[in-house]
Amino acid sequence: MEARELFEAHGAAIYRFAAVLLKHPQDAEDCVQETFLKLLRHLAAGGETTNIRGWLFTVAANAARDRQRGRARWIPWLPAHDREVPPAPLPDEDGRLARARAALAALAPRDRMLLTLRAQGLSYRDIASAAKIAPVSVGRLLARALDRWAAANEQRENSHEPVFEQYPDPGRR
Amino acid sequence: MNPCLNSIQIQAVADGEAGAAERAHVATCGACAARVARRRQQITEIEQTLNAPVAMPASLAERVDTALATGAAGATRLRPSSGGGRRRWIYSGFAVAVATLIAVLFIVPAVRKHDTTVSAAEILAKSANQLAAAPAANVERLVYELVLDGVPREIMPDHANGTGAYRVQEVIDHSVAGRYRLATYDPSGVELSSVAQDPATGRRVMTVRVDGQPYRFETTLPATQTLSVPEIERLHMQATVTLMQASGNQRVQVIDAPDGREYRIDVPRVSTATPAAVWDLMEAHLIVDASDFHVVELAVKGAFLKQPYSFSYKLLTHDVESPDSVPADTFDVPVEPGAIVIDAGEGSPVPAADAFQASLRELAKARQKR
Repeated sequence: MEARELFEAHGAAIYRFAAVLLKHPQDAEDCVQETFLKLLRHLAAGGETTNIRGWLFTVAANAARDRQRGRARWIPWLPAHDREVPPAPLPDEDGRLARARAALAALAPRDRMLLTLRAQGLSYRDIASAAKIAPVSVGRLLARALDRWAAANEQRENSHEPVFEQYPDPGRR
Repeated sequence: MNPCLNSIQIQAVADGEAGAAERAHVATCGACAARVARRRQQITEIEQTLNAPVAMPASLAERVDTALATGAAGATRLRPSSGGGRRRWIYSGFAVAVATLIAVLFIVPAVRKHDTTVSAAEILAKSANQLAAAPAANVERLVYELVLDGVPREIMPDHANGTGAYRVQEVIDHSVAGRYRLATYDPSGVELSSVAQDPATGRRVMTVRVDGQPYRFETTLPATQTLSVPEIERLHMQATVTLMQASGNQRVQVIDAPDGREYRIDVPRVSTATPAAVWDLMEAHLIVDASDFHVVELAVKGAFLKQPYSFSYKLLTHDVESPDSVPADTFDVPVEPGAIVIDAGEGSPVPAADAFQASLRELAKARQKR
């Protein structure tokens, strides 16, 4: 497949992934573009294509990490900056998914990355590559991340905290 | 029966990554099977949360399409990821603010180095370094086109007869600090304004045309010289290239132009300006000569103090001469027939301010005579 076709097939998933990690639409877009330009070069150089989805998520994760580090170096990162990606509407009449999403947003970046990669259906091997952790650690770290997410989710459920505070409508700010 | 699984093993079973023994245990242990089911349910919730349909911005699809097409056809080479993205465009500081407010014209210095296999970041760095370097002790003659919009256009006194498009002729003597002449013309060739100063004579002349009437302001040079207009222009251009360097999204193309190879660096459009930014660029491209990295073309769009800001610069000719070969009156402006000549006294570092104050003084004198 050519880069353009691969973008059509995986671009949206990479964008979602980047948006969840970076929480900023422009950063997410930059991350997507960088990822697919690297793919173009990878293909042109005759790179491995047997697991292109895993490769894309690894490159996107690296690009996202670079941007997160860049933020820390260049500007004070205000909480308001973390709330700029308007979330997609959820078929969620009882608010269960909204709470789940809020709990996910509140996790540490590595936990969020691991769960996001897992939710994309990546194997432990691919998750290890993308998250830059040892393959044998993936299961343990995933289990802990899921525990922390579950605890945060349960806490929100019990506290009846207004979940929209996690993802305010940008137009209201 | 084997002992029950720990949470890591449960996770592995739920993720389809467990070994045969763990899977066999879960098949026979109701408690562990329930834990696996619970894990799977949690993962499903997260998947539903994350995988809700998100419309990818149309601008992103278009942008990636363009990037892929450009990359496929040219010599795209990304800068090594260094982070920052849009926010590293944010740049503030006195020099930039002053330069941006005042400088609307640009200078292209002589540059020397040669390199043919460089990335966008390296090209920008070489270009910025050359802009920052002290020019050779020669006389430069430049002719370039300049199109201004937004803030830069508004602060120009003439607006280029409403077009915002100028042709600029500039002569700079790098052997004498502060010696230069600069003149702007509208697209039809009518001179709009000029400024010239020569420390050798201690004089500065500024001319401007308003409603067809030429005015000429003559001052002495201030005792303390600050940055000249060309120096401010150089700072502005350097700051712009620095901002382009700060972007992680540069693309480079090699252009085989009639006069030789050139590099084109594009920084694709980013979103709207950051509210807190003093100066925020949203889109830019730079073309440099591949032989010596001098700037051939530079175009920028952005915002300055929340106002739209854009300029484009295109070099037409660039000559370098020995100071000995340049006539002495090069750094003077001939008196135009019909011009109103105003002696503006001692000049300040800002020629336009001198002209403005001198005009007010003349107005006051005229009223007192009535």
